Amino acid sequence: MLRYLIKKLLFMIPIIIGSTIIIFLILHLSPGDPVNMIVGPNVTPEVYENISRSLGLDKPLTTQYFIFLGKLLRGDLGQSILQKRPVLDIVLERFPRTLTIGVFSLLLSFSIAIPMGIIAAVKRKTAADYMSMSFSLVGISMPTFWFGLLLLYFFAYKFRIFPLSGYETWKHYVLPVITVGLTDAAVTARMMRSSMLEVIRQDYIRTARAKGVKEIIVITKHALKNAVLPVITLLGMRIGWIFAGSAVIETVFSIPGIGRLMVDAIFSRDYPIVQGSMLILVISITLGNMLADILYALVDPRIKY
Amino acid sequence: MKKEYQEHADLIKVADKRVNFWSKLFSSKPAVLAAVLIVLFICSALFAAFIAPYPYDKQNLPEMMQAPSKKHLFGTDELGRDIFSRVVYGTRISLMVGFLSVLISTSVGTVLGALAGYYGGVVDQLVTGFTDIVYSFPVSLLAIAVVAALGSSLFNLIIVISMVSWAGYARLVRGQVLSLKEWDFVEAARALGASNLRIIVKHILPNTVAPIIVMATLEIPKAIIIESTLSFLGLGVPPPTPSWGAIMNAGRAFILDAPWITMAPGLVMMVLVLAFNLFGDALRDALDPRLND
Repeated sequence: MLRYLIKKLLFMIPIIIGSTIIIFLILHLSPGDPVNMIVGPNVTPEVYENISRSLGLDKPLTTQYFIFLGKLLRGDLGQSILQKRPVLDIVLERFPRTLTIGVFSLLLSFSIAIPMGIIAAVKRKTAADYMSMSFSLVGISMPTFWFGLLLLYFFAYKFRIFPLSGYETWKHYVLPVITVGLTDAAVTARMMRSSMLEVIRQDYIRTARAKGVKEIIVITKHALKNAVLPVITLLGMRIGWIFAGSAVIETVFSIPGIGRLMVDAIFSRDYPIVQGSMLILVISITLGNMLADILYALVDPRIKY
Repeated sequence: MKKEYQEHADLIKVADKRVNFWSKLFSSKPAVLAAVLIVLFICSALFAAFIAPYPYDKQNLPEMMQAPSKKHLFGTDELGRDIFSRVVYGTRISLMVGFLSVLISTSVGTVLGALAGYYGGVVDQLVTGFTDIVYSFPVSLLAIAVVAALGSSLFNLIIVISMVSWAGYARLVRGQVLSLKEWDFVEAARALGASNLRIIVKHILPNTVAPIIVMATLEIPKAIIIESTLSFLGLGVPPPTPSWGAIMNAGRAFILDAPWITMAPGLVMMVLVLAFNLFGDALRDALDPRLND
């Protein structure tokens, strides 16, 4: 198991280095000038050059990248151009909010989707199946941000159950978690259902039924463990989806997390912030994928480490 | 004589299969409804100028932020622009992005997948490795990064969405080609002296069309949602071009006083996306013989 873990951890390194190169390149090749963003378009060439030099923007791209990477290894993500504070501080201050939404929506999603998918598969072509599949079809057809705005309007404004904006108490996180959790459950439930349908067609399920095992035991003991495997593989992708979607959900609910930070920084051309927030999202996503791999290995005895 | 009979029987079988497909597809009521809706949306995109009661960018300040009424079906926004007209014009952006990006990503994915599956070896390893990275990376984060670099315009949006969604097709086509190239008809074609290109294009790819079409149908709604999400974040088509996501983004500031600005486009969009999803599901059921039982 330890070897497997180390292998997986080592596998993360090229992915993260690759991402840093991509993140670094696309932002530096992009139009818009960070110096002009700070002091406006009308500056004397001397002032421009001074600022440019103090930000290290006058050096060649490769040099800038290696400076960036070298600092990164020392845990230094650079300074925010606009806020004049270390990027790491800003990112770490905001990350817990994004993580909170991510973890709880994933929990909510799986605790709804797995039972729902199982019931839909077992009671195939009944009202229960049609209802849960309609729920899931509507869920995947709805843009997440729109569903969030809908909840915000009704539950924060009309019925005044939850606060309209802010991030101080747990109440501020209920609507975002429901928004992400339910839309995510829509995808996972479909997956769970088709995986379960696949499994209950297998011979060993017929055998179990034939020897008189109770249906509930057949489903929970024999079928579930096998049917849940593809869903665990999906877990890695869902974690990625949730972190990547943080920009949207934090915009809707005005929560200052990583996603919103990233989008704001794109608009203000605050390169170090964009790089830092993208990097932390990439690391979270890769870690999430690894977690899913480990879970998969634990559940499926056929996997050799 | 006997051979002729056989050919005749084969022809009937093929024709039978086709009739079977269409009757199967349109025997499901949701599929018919979805097809009708999609056609309606396409018409509204084509004839937006005739359907929309007002120009999409006509400001009318005395009538700003009005609730839906007979005069303004979906109400008006903070500049007094008619939301219904803007939504009708917005159909153009959504469908254009949906169709074009899927066209591009299907082509790119099919070519790469076919090359990887057919030639194997180094080509396969390169393509598969690249595909895996793109595939495992969340689409929206990738799209945000690329838009941040390229800037936002309709053209860039289509490129971005194609860039992040070809990987699924590449995987699908590679898998199909990998198994198809072992069949006897490929061997026969090769024995007759057909070139690799001819074998791929004329003999292998036609057999992968069905799953590609199903996938493409289900990818169109995804592309539409990505477009609206990027536009909602302010990274989409620049104003005043009416895109559904951009209308909702502008309406976000007024959601308490004028919820219709955000609700109406979202609802319309949901209907379109739902229609594509239903149609795609029905298409898959009609084409996938494994589910016939």
